[in-house]
Amino acid sequence: MNKQVKSTLLSVYSKGHEPQNLGDKIFHCNFFPKNRKGADKVLSVYWFVVLFIVAGGVVYMVAVFYGAPYDVREVEANLLINQIADCVATGGSLNGNLDKLVDELTLLQICKINFKVEDEFSWKEDQFYVNISSGDFDKTSGMISGLTEKVVLGNSELKSFCELGGKTMPKCVERSFYVSEGKVIKIFVGVKKVDKNA
Amino acid sequence: MIKRLDKKAKSSPKGHEKIFHHNFFPKNRRGENILTENLLFIILNFVFLTVLILFLVSKVGNAAVLEEKYSKQIAMIIDSSRPVMTVAIDMQDAMEEKEEGVLENNIVIINENVVTVKLREEGGGYSYSFFNDVAVSSYFDSTKNKFIINIDRK
Repeated sequence: MNKQVKSTLLSVYSKGHEPQNLGDKIFHCNFFPKNRKGADKVLSVYWFVVLFIVAGGVVYMVAVFYGAPYDVREVEANLLINQIADCVATGGSLNGNLDKLVDELTLLQICKINFKVEDEFSWKEDQFYVNISSGDFDKTSGMISGLTEKVVLGNSELKSFCELGGKTMPKCVERSFYVSEGKVIKIFVGVKKVDKNA
Repeated sequence: MIKRLDKKAKSSPKGHEKIFHHNFFPKNRRGENILTENLLFIILNFVFLTVLILFLVSKVGNAAVLEEKYSKQIAMIIDSSRPVMTVAIDMQDAMEEKEEGVLENNIVIINENVVTVKLREEGGGYSYSFFNDVAVSSYFDSTKNKFIINIDRK
């Protein structure tokens, strides 16, 4: 490129068309190689091709990001665990409700839970799964023994699907807490609602 | 001028060189085009960027996105609340985005344990259920410009 410019300038000088000032030298029509205009046109076409590829990428990313629903299932599962924990224990001690939880109906009534969902995507009352188990906690050894299921509520299939993992699978959360009576309460919650969260 | 150039072109030694001869076009044509082409190039770039930014802005503040955001947010607030509580929610962006035909008091509808947020006249809005078995009522407080949600025992 530089060689071409140099030779062009030399040819201009040798022909006797000596420019009058520096501006004339630089902006002289022969300063650049003759095919510069054609190369520019090709460059602008490529420039627009690149622009459209970038635009396509941006549009795709925005559509994917804002088209995907907010996934609140994990928050929902944690809130449900909180609700059940508050229901069975108060101030770090059992409040007597755990013994009353004998079946699904008692859990729903005592813990003020309602598993009815919106009438969309042919959803039924199978979007939740709750499993409450309790065991003895040995303070000296720190071991848990005699962990037994107290109440199981909702769609039990969710537990096995949770183990598969993935975005289109139900979300499950398991948390345990200790009470002053030397017991450990383990709450496992699964939330389906895949159509609205994944 | 064109006639003169044609004559020059005809005097060219080879046939195919006539059209592509450097004297076929007026001499100052090249200088004029540089300005026009560059201007057009810059204008097209600006148009492209403007369309891209407008698309992004329209997607970010979209009514459908806000409907989903607020219905899930309200459902989570109700799930985490205990009776008796009153919650005030600032929904300024939703108020700006709502269509004229939608009444302020109809933006948030809570029916049994389902929250529905509706910002558009067409469609049924976005619904999300909450599991907390409480009595919920809501209204729009125009003095505070906020939505008030009352949570009480059933």
